[in-house]
Amino acid sequence: MSEKKRHKVFVNGAILPNFIAESIAKHSSKKNIGAHDIFLGQIRNDIIDGKTVQAIEYSAYEEMAEEKFHEIREKAFASFNLSCMHIYHSLGRVKAGEISLFVFVSSQHRTDAFDACRFIVEEIKAKVPIFGKEIFEDETYSWKINTD
Amino acid sequence: MGIEIKIFGQLADIIGSDELQLQDIDDTSSLREKLISDFPKLANYPFVVAVGKKIVNGNQKLNADDVVALLPPFAGG
Repeated sequence: MSEKKRHKVFVNGAILPNFIAESIAKHSSKKNIGAHDIFLGQIRNDIIDGKTVQAIEYSAYEEMAEEKFHEIREKAFASFNLSCMHIYHSLGRVKAGEISLFVFVSSQHRTDAFDACRFIVEEIKAKVPIFGKEIFEDETYSWKINTD
Repeated sequence: MGIEIKIFGQLADIIGSDELQLQDIDDTSSLREKLISDFPKLANYPFVVAVGKKIVNGNQKLNADDVVALLPPFAGG
């Protein structure tokens, strides 16, 4: 029943709400699923040294990142009882208020969905070589570092 | 021995390029020393070295066809 095929994780620019809605709709035919969990990472307008972040420009070591995403998928399927899993991450510029990460896991029951979703998000933040430039309103920038 | 190094994120700003070719580098520890001596500002920025898309812990010997990358802290999500 597991859907383990690889799809491309990176998308150019923001992940659009319509795309997320369509992804949910596609699962209505999989009637063994009882629980979906979704994580959406949104760009925050942090204020750093008095300047407001208006966008993050993402870049990545793409070849290594795709490999890491694959490892995370394999680990999640091995550790939790999942029907399917989708991960999308932005590259390029994503404005404050827009979505840059979409993790979507489906299971028969909620516990596996909750636990897997958190596991995947934490793994992505810690292990995937993605880099982010926080761009301020005057187009100057600083480099983002993941914290808790 | 010449090795090609891919450079990412903030490190590319500091080095002024997203690629570098270095000669006579035997292992990742000497790579780190050489980089910090050529670009002293790097000493103030944490980074890891990846060889063949795997992060190196400790020291690792380098071969001419290795794919080497310098990675600053990750910021995905």
